[in-house]
Amino acid sequence: MGWRKWNRWIHRELGFLFFGMTIIYGISGIALNHHAARHWDPGLITKSESIQYPEALSKSDVDRNTIEKILELTGEKENYKQYYFPNQEHLMIYLKGGHIAVDLPSGEMQLTKIRHRPVFRELNYLHYNKPKKLWTWFSDLYAFGLILIAISGLLLIRGKKGITGRGGILTIIGILIPLALLIIYLWL
Amino acid sequence: MQRTILLMIIAILAFSCNQNVKKEGVTPEAEKTEQIVSATVVELLASPAEYQDKEVAVSGMVTHVCRHGGQKCFIVADDGETQIRIVPGGEIDEFNIDLEGSTVAFKGIFRVMEAEVAADHVEDHESKEHHAEEQSHSNAEKAEYFVEALDFKEVTE
Repeated sequence: MGWRKWNRWIHRELGFLFFGMTIIYGISGIALNHHAARHWDPGLITKSESIQYPEALSKSDVDRNTIEKILELTGEKENYKQYYFPNQEHLMIYLKGGHIAVDLPSGEMQLTKIRHRPVFRELNYLHYNKPKKLWTWFSDLYAFGLILIAISGLLLIRGKKGITGRGGILTIIGILIPLALLIIYLWL
Repeated sequence: MQRTILLMIIAILAFSCNQNVKKEGVTPEAEKTEQIVSATVVELLASPAEYQDKEVAVSGMVTHVCRHGGQKCFIVADDGETQIRIVPGGEIDEFNIDLEGSTVAFKGIFRVMEAEVAADHVEDHESKEHHAEEQSHSNAEKAEYFVEALDFKEVTE
């Protein structure tokens, strides 16, 4: 069998074998990109709601009864953990799965509920190599496979559309773009 | 088909070979003989030199867990004001957001940054990369002192 047939075979078989891994790393890669850019949090879903306490408060007013009243107003009695004062004008009540931030002078309460985002949590868990152990070796194997897929892909087609023609130009563009951004953002 | 099977055998062999790699030269945690010093947050911050690089046990309510990967959390002292930064170390990858509002007992190494590193750390914080506004834990976030947690346990929820 000629090298081109081997090359096609490697590209095809590894492509099938690592389809799932490419989807895992692709989706979680987009998510983590935007997490790093502070666009959104792929790991957590946060929902906030404003509720008004009937009167203005001060730090010295707050006791167990005040906390219970706040918990009743927000419907979070079952989820109460602890509270503390971040400063003289604010009270923070911690809940299972969230918190209530109270602006004491205005009586404005911000109920924030936090839960883990399904699917993305699991994908990120894998992307960050949290499982370690066998996952380390399988993801290494995937990374090596991805290099082979990329190299074999370059040599897949001959002629005008191949590496010696349009394919070569696209390959150079694909190398120059990250290189240019690296120069702009890191070295300039 | 035969080639596919061959590929799978190579993959399995690669796995099994790597499983035999032994961790050499790593001192097991259990072999450490240094005594753990129990201290409060206030005591640690009052005399950092005394505790520097020592294994300490410290506890407090977790006021905040960093949303960006859980790579730090903060506990508040009994005075309700003084906070200290805790970072994951050892086998701990990150701190879970669910720790917020729980009283947690940490075991770890008390670290004091060198002046140059501490200055870079403050500069990084003041770049507003993490928080646009000052938070109650901002001082602890900027501080040159922190605990590198090796283990922790929730004392209350």
